[in-house]
Amino acid sequence: MSLKPRQVDFNAVWGSLQETVKSVITLGHVPRQIWSDRFSDVYSLCVAHPESMADRLYAETKQYLIDHVALLLIKVQEDGEDNLIKNYYHYWSQYSRGLFYLHLLYWYLNQQHIRMQKPSDAEMIYGSSDANAGEQLEIKELALEVWKNGMITPLGEKLVKLLLETIDKDRSEHTTLIPIEAIQGTITSFVEVQRFKIKGKLKLYQDLFEEPFLDASGEHFKRDAARLLEERDVSLYMEKVITKVDEELARARKFLHASSLTKVSQRCEQHMVAEHLDFLYSECMNMVQGERKRDLSNMYSLLKSLPNALNILVDTVLDHSKCQGLESIGTLQGDNIHVNFVENLLEVYQKYRQQIQEVFSGDQNFMGALDKACSSVINHRPNKGKTPCRSPELLAKYCDTLLKKSSKGISEAEVDEKLRKSITIFKYIDDKDVFQKFYARMLAKRLIHQQTQSMDAEEAMINRLKQACGYEFTSKLHRMFTDMSVSADLNNKFNAFLKDDSIDLGVNFCIYILQAGAWPFGQAIVTPFSLPQQLVKSVQMFETFYYNRFNGRKLTWLHHLCQAELRLGYLKKPYVVTVQTFQMAILLLFETADSLVCKEIRETLLLNADQFQRHAISLVDSKLLLCDSEELTPEAVLRLNMEYTNKRTRFRITAAIQRESPQEVEHTINSVEEDRKLYLQAAIVRIMKSRKVLKHNALIQEVCAQSKVSFAPSIPMIKKCIEALIDRHYMERTQHSSEEYSYIA
Amino acid sequence: MKVTIKNWTSVAIWKWVANDDNCGICRMPFDGCCPDCKLPGDDCPLVWGQCSHCFHMHCIVKWLQSQQVNQQCPMCRQEWKFNNK
Repeated sequence: MSLKPRQVDFNAVWGSLQETVKSVITLGHVPRQIWSDRFSDVYSLCVAHPESMADRLYAETKQYLIDHVALLLIKVQEDGEDNLIKNYYHYWSQYSRGLFYLHLLYWYLNQQHIRMQKPSDAEMIYGSSDANAGEQLEIKELALEVWKNGMITPLGEKLVKLLLETIDKDRSEHTTLIPIEAIQGTITSFVEVQRFKIKGKLKLYQDLFEEPFLDASGEHFKRDAARLLEERDVSLYMEKVITKVDEELARARKFLHASSLTKVSQRCEQHMVAEHLDFLYSECMNMVQGERKRDLSNMYSLLKSLPNALNILVDTVLDHSKCQGLESIGTLQGDNIHVNFVENLLEVYQKYRQQIQEVFSGDQNFMGALDKACSSVINHRPNKGKTPCRSPELLAKYCDTLLKKSSKGISEAEVDEKLRKSITIFKYIDDKDVFQKFYARMLAKRLIHQQTQSMDAEEAMINRLKQACGYEFTSKLHRMFTDMSVSADLNNKFNAFLKDDSIDLGVNFCIYILQAGAWPFGQAIVTPFSLPQQLVKSVQMFETFYYNRFNGRKLTWLHHLCQAELRLGYLKKPYVVTVQTFQMAILLLFETADSLVCKEIRETLLLNADQFQRHAISLVDSKLLLCDSEELTPEAVLRLNMEYTNKRTRFRITAAIQRESPQEVEHTINSVEEDRKLYLQAAIVRIMKSRKVLKHNALIQEVCAQSKVSFAPSIPMIKKCIEALIDRHYMERTQHSSEEYSYIA
Repeated sequence: MKVTIKNWTSVAIWKWVANDDNCGICRMPFDGCCPDCKLPGDDCPLVWGQCSHCFHMHCIVKWLQSQQVNQQCPMCRQEWKFNNK
């Protein structure tokens, strides 16, 4: 057969072609030879001489399809409404497969004739809207278009009505008379018919079927919700709604096009949840307070996809966890208050954290609420904010208890774990600087009185604080550690020095040399004291050694921090007792006498009344000394207790060191106040120096942002600091506005 | 002996003793550090000249490096010599 264009008799060729077209579209048998011949017939018509007959072929084919579909329309309706969907599906699946083969048969027409005149994709999308009018379509597209016009247009509404009835039946009885694939196939035919469109592929499906379906479903959901609501039981209602949503999704998956799934669940939630929020909220409080996990997680899964619907639940959870937190620390009393405080809070925190993970799948909203609750519990000020918050002090004390030698019965790993957890609480504390002050003081005491359990644990804790708060926060603590190692080094050198010169001090001497400023001992605490004769040599020798080594430094001895180990030789058994320097000095005076008058002791040692009182009482309390009167008046007589016994041969008189005097606490709080002022002033100057001119509110904001790491400053305090800086000419109010400041270089 | 001292652990703090409160170059207190340092103490020491004037070591070294001709004490204009007694 030649491919050359030649003259063709259209009617003759079309006659035989039409026969084959009929077989193809109805999926009849077409022998290979016939198929090949018809394929070339299409070609020869298209390239016919003298003029192409493609247009005519196209028109005839279109007319044929229209007639064919009209015929099918009659067939579909033949068996009445009951079989309508089944028939429709039957003919549709036949037709939709057939048209593909037809498309192949018309390959040449599609490729050469129609594609040539087709507008480009860009023109389709951005071009004029009536690009389709009167234009020729590829055969498969044409066939679908014909189906749409000839079948769906007249039959669509009836089909949809039947479909909706069927789905409704499926809802109530869980069965359908019509096979599922027929229903599904019919519904998807509304999408298939448009599949070659570039724009609005789903439009027909949405307009014709989806919208009525959603409306009908909406009505159904409303009725269902009303029925369920009659039982007036929130938890039951939620259970049923969740099942319902799942069912509907499964149904949608079974029948509908995938694009409808979210719409169905949205509709369902809207009618069953969003319209009855008040009903759900009515039980919210009880559920949260009763910690009904199953209900809460149901509630969460229902509310999470609705905008803002979770807020009330979140707020309720916040209030509840806050109440629980406050309750857990509200009634604490006794010596162990710091341990209870931290551990109770942690328990509450962990409980709710876990609950949020479990019930609300760790939703950020709830985590945020827990954070808020914790921070308001931890920074809670009793008595309407008049009493200062004790959390920083208690937490520092808790760490102290863990890090001290005396914490017996727990392994190092447990201590480490507890300290790690305590950081959780630390992060919520607003007044981190107060914590730092207390922590530093307790650390200093631990280091100097050699009470630290392990240096590793101490360092690990400081590193954790550094991680949470930054380098500056822990720099002082680090300097304390440096001093400890420098001191160890100095002690070795001093001992070598003594050995070289063969000097005997008479006692085992060891010293801590501390940098002023790095340690939290105020200057004021140095009180007059006359050192016992036995120790004078040690002090002198060390001073000679030290001043020789370090030019331009001055040592101040902090006797109230020194301690000594004494051997008591006057009792039945020899005892070794650890005491503070002042206690030692008192005991040493009894070398020459068995009883002494208080006034005498005080005058010999030059101790002030307060110091004497504290240390003498601790000796009396420990029964090492006996006193003839209740009170230690200047005239009272102290006697050595010659009958003293103790089960242990080595012990410590602790009372005076350990107890935190109320003055000390107050002193700490005052020094925090002082430090804050300096910190704020420095921050203000830094900000003003870089900005030169700044509005009042902006300045306050920046200051707050800078100081947030270590404390939450009060606005009046910032204002006072600004005033102080204006008085000292660091800055001034600008001339045109009193709300604006400028920096004075 | 009724009571004998076995061990004595003592504590002392040290401070700079200078003839002034502030460094004459940077005007910062001797208790603090020079403007280039972050922490006072061993890392930012004081030094004395034979003229008895005292500065942060970092401050006076910087000053001496900036002087091309004579190495003088910025306070008294005498020739600067470190006092290493």
